[in-house]
Amino acid sequence: MTVAINSRDDFTLENYRRVAMGGESVTIGPEARRTMAEGRANFLRLLESDRTQFIYGVTSSFGPRAKLTIPPDQQRAHGRAFGFRRGNWARGFGGGYLDERVVRGILFARLANFVAGNSKARPDVAERLAALLDGPLPRVPLDGEVGAGEVLPMAHVMSGFRRDDLEEGEANPLINGSPVSAALAADTALQACHRLDHAEQIFALSVEAFGAPLDAYDDVLDDLWGDEDEASALAALRRQLEGASPDGRASAAAPASYRVLGRVLGQAHRAVTGAEDAARVSLRSVTDNPVYVPPGEGHPLGRAFSTGGFHNATVYPALNALAASWADLTLLAQRHVTALCTAAVSAPTGLEPALGGLVEEARAAAMPTLLPAAVNDPQDDVSSPTFSAYRRQARAAECLDSALAALAAEASQALFAAGRQPAPPLHDLLAAVRAIFPPAEGGPHDPGARVSDLAAALARSAVTGSAAFGISR
Amino acid sequence: MTVVVNTRDDFTLANFRRVSYGGEPVRVGARALRAMTAVAGPGPATGSAGRETARRARWPAPGAGFGGGHLDPAVVRGILFTRLASFVSGHAGVRPSVAERVAALLDGPMPRVPLDGQAGTGEVLPMAHVLAGLRRDDLREGEQEALLGGAPCSAALAADAAISARHRLGHAESICALSIEAFRAPLTAYDEALEGLWGDPHETAALRELRRYLEGTGTAGRRFHQAPVSYRIIPRVLGQVHRTVAAVEKAAAVSLRSVTSDVVYVNDEAGRPGGRAVRSGGFHNGMAYPALNALSAAWADLALVAERQVTALNTAETSDLPVNLVAPGAPGNGTYAYGWAANGYVEEARAAATPALLPGAVADPHADVLSPTFGAYRRELRAAECVDGVLAILALVSSQALFVTGRNPPQPLRPVLSFVRSVFPPIDGTGDRDLSADGGRLQQALGAAARTGELTVLDAGHGPAAVLAEES
Repeated sequence: MTVAINSRDDFTLENYRRVAMGGESVTIGPEARRTMAEGRANFLRLLESDRTQFIYGVTSSFGPRAKLTIPPDQQRAHGRAFGFRRGNWARGFGGGYLDERVVRGILFARLANFVAGNSKARPDVAERLAALLDGPLPRVPLDGEVGAGEVLPMAHVMSGFRRDDLEEGEANPLINGSPVSAALAADTALQACHRLDHAEQIFALSVEAFGAPLDAYDDVLDDLWGDEDEASALAALRRQLEGASPDGRASAAAPASYRVLGRVLGQAHRAVTGAEDAARVSLRSVTDNPVYVPPGEGHPLGRAFSTGGFHNATVYPALNALAASWADLTLLAQRHVTALCTAAVSAPTGLEPALGGLVEEARAAAMPTLLPAAVNDPQDDVSSPTFSAYRRQARAAECLDSALAALAAEASQALFAAGRQPAPPLHDLLAAVRAIFPPAEGGPHDPGARVSDLAAALARSAVTGSAAFGISR
Repeated sequence: MTVVVNTRDDFTLANFRRVSYGGEPVRVGARALRAMTAVAGPGPATGSAGRETARRARWPAPGAGFGGGHLDPAVVRGILFTRLASFVSGHAGVRPSVAERVAALLDGPMPRVPLDGQAGTGEVLPMAHVLAGLRRDDLREGEQEALLGGAPCSAALAADAAISARHRLGHAESICALSIEAFRAPLTAYDEALEGLWGDPHETAALRELRRYLEGTGTAGRRFHQAPVSYRIIPRVLGQVHRTVAAVEKAAAVSLRSVTSDVVYVNDEAGRPGGRAVRSGGFHNGMAYPALNALSAAWADLALVAERQVTALNTAETSDLPVNLVAPGAPGNGTYAYGWAANGYVEEARAAATPALLPGAVADPHADVLSPTFGAYRRELRAAECVDGVLAILALVSSQALFVTGRNPPQPLRPVLSFVRSVFPPIDGTGDRDLSADGGRLQQALGAAARTGELTVLDAGHGPAAVLAEES
């Protein structure tokens, strides 16, 4: 299959998933080609009307030398020189590499700038960009990618792009703007949605294993608390617990960690929604500098002007919130494991001591990424922190996956020891857990290796969207 | 005036403001009294055995938390107001007389609620302080739990932060626009076309506010090339502040009207009011502390961008303004050292942006998750104080830049400039000034304005402020 793009409205999370995770190609549709050709022609008319006007990177130099003007007869060569005579801007190194699916996603997100003619570039440039998705993808290091805007990582992403025939104003839209933030948000949001779904199932399994009273998830709370995210969490828990037996449940109130589940998961719903919103808005945004606005009232040739679109201020706070939410869920999972171990009627898994370390790692990853303190130069005086926020979120998610894997194993073991079955909607989940981590009298053999396998399966499920631990839906 | 509460819908941010900051009393309305009577009558909250249980039950000592200063009495009023939200619909199983007794506490002096030591499961610890003066010798079964349980503190703390944050954001926008004008930054970075191109409602709101303040300014004399990044990205940074303020407002609005009692009484299968008791985790507010965390981070980021603009204004090579913005003939280093001072506020704000997560401590195997809202609230207060410090510096440096170049800003910015100069007149080399104290006064004035919503001109008609008034 191929994703055809004609307008900015085609830059949806679903199309992102198809291209980035599904490996589909992209074609530039006829509407987009027409719009870009018109945009290019209008921009050239604007440029020819006065080649001494300030258009960043076209009639001026770059970065801290922006006040230097480029003579008209040198402007085309100047455009091609960016990335050649000045050297490729790819400078970051170390820290591992972005997953290939994310690099695909960045290339897809980059095209949003082009399709409405705001990039000033010819349709051929956009098609050449889309064609990169059909070849081998460059490696993008994770360290050293913090600068003003996203020029540094984009230089890696565009390292294979042929530029010897670029014209005035066509180089900047390739590497300026904030398509990296958009892609990192989309990659995170798609996984987070799956991860939250898995967390709700595993916490419901824990509720069953503990025999916690069910009134903490009662539907009357939907209205009494009055929050749509908490209502979603409560509804998800009730779905998993439908048909749960009233027999054998604790008569007294459960520990707080069981009763607050609906509210803590509600916050996770809020954080996931925040990441999805950030991704949706960012994917279809036009963010490069300078931006070209087609002709309109009072501006018959259109306008090309400088903005701060290259700085995405929405994504990194959304990723911070998600990391914090994962850290809180990791702590909650640890409390559940402790409660199950305390209440277990026979041998627990022995995983409980390992949870403390995961909680601390997740909390460290939840330290927010703020605007970087470093300054490159007096002109480039604020940098983008999205790469760091993405990595911290990924680390917090990794810790949560491990904690959820341990909780699933512990809940399975507790049910095994008590000779009970969970509510029917949880049977498949329990079977999947036991296929990797079988329960055993006296505790399982080599629980560390088995729970590690469980965590890896959970992480894969978050990417693919398959059922938790890899069972196909 | 008196705020009358009849249903949960009466627990709005506007009513919170009237009761907490405005000092208005609260009356429990007839509809609420009927709802409470219907549940408290036949439901499980009555009975002699229950009364005996209640008399024996232990009320936590209000001295359990101590140190760290105290909550503002206005916020304590807000907690008492919020406490009533769980009562008025009858879901808490509390008699009308008990609700009226809580409302009556608003007519007396507020108890002191320490800020340290308030992280427990739910909010029993601070509520024991808040309700220390409540007569409770005749409480019935379930009423003590309803009084102390739930999450009214989180709701009140979120509401208090939300009201100040909305004002603080408005003032920040005016000061950033003043800085844009002082720097003579090109206006394209705030162009209306960006609203559709970026497609984000919060960034749109920020762009519109900046343009509103800059309306009428000319293009003559502005730099022809693009401004430093800190000037071009300011609408996106302010857009993020808009987003976080909206989130805190939503958290407050939802929390204020929530029924969060540990046990709620609802209709049973036969439809009898209060016939079924549901025990839940309502006492844990899961939305207020993340919203406050995000707000602290937004203040820290705004503080950093404001500091970068201060540096740009103070650096002649960047701004093309007079060196250190020193007035002609005046001694000293002008506003240069304020740039250094701003660094300290930025670092403090960044420290305060460390998020409050679910506490690592465990009270006991049953109380195994604690509430972090008090911690998040205090950090937000500190981050806000620090951003006020940097904004004060940006305001006075912008004022100085306009002063030394003999310029006035467009009309919409003149009130904020008058406010700034009424507290901190331009440094013109005359008189003997304590510039540290003057800067501190401006920070405090901004802090006070965040509560009231008004940038009050303190000294209109004197000194440079008078010059501005005549020219305008």
